[in-house]
Amino acid sequence: MSVLFEGAARPLLVAHAVLGFTAVFATTHHAVSALLAALGRPAHGQLRRFGWMASASTVAQALLGLALYPAYRVRVRFADLESSAPAAVQLFDLKEHLSALALALVLGASFAGRALQPDALAAESRTVAALSGAGAALVWAAALIGLFVTAWHPVGRP
Amino acid sequence: MRELRAALWGVSAFSLGYLLPGTLRLPTLAYDPVARTVRFTAQVTGVAMRYYGDLLWACAAGLCAAAAVWTFRRPPGPVAALAGTALALVALDLAFYLSRFLASV
Repeated sequence: MSVLFEGAARPLLVAHAVLGFTAVFATTHHAVSALLAALGRPAHGQLRRFGWMASASTVAQALLGLALYPAYRVRVRFADLESSAPAAVQLFDLKEHLSALALALVLGASFAGRALQPDALAAESRTVAALSGAGAALVWAAALIGLFVTAWHPVGRP
Repeated sequence: MRELRAALWGVSAFSLGYLLPGTLRLPTLAYDPVARTVRFTAQVTGVAMRYYGDLLWACAAGLCAAAAVWTFRRPPGPVAALAGTALALVALDLAFYLSRFLASV
């Protein structure tokens, strides 16, 4: 019995981790830039630049995570964690939900941040900052939970 | 700002589209990684997973809502109310999944 992408699970996991770190730092920079813009500081070039990086890295990371999910479910979750660490299973489920919500927030904040003008209303700047900050917080939480569960039993290890 | 309104409607619809199919057990695409089959069903059991399907519902809802707001130029409403609704829906999703996690450990 073979599972989709099981043979490439390790390199996919490494790429998923690298993109995860990229997403964490890009979304954090975007959130800081959005906060500066909301405070009236000139940060619109950064908002456009980090908006592309944040959205591209988050989408790429999500796609790799989706590719790894079948191997995780069969080889890690059902073969090991369900019996040895059921709390880790629930924690990973929570991480999947956080990642999904982060995806929507990061894409929304990046899209709106690109169009934010230097003379935008304060309410608009603050809204972009709120979307971006919430997205970055969820990306951080998902990354930390992902590292924790991977330390327990990485996908690709028997 | 049309982009911001489209983003807020997209985030709101994504949050609802992500929460409702799973909690109401609506039919969705379910992938069985052992049998390597995809079915459209509400009954997902065993090793089969509905995450792909739920995510597809949410993405479709979010994209449709954002595209509708982008396409049909309605008189702009207050951004604060839209932002509050979008963030409240995200918070509702978070509260639900966090409560489910805390109840299970």
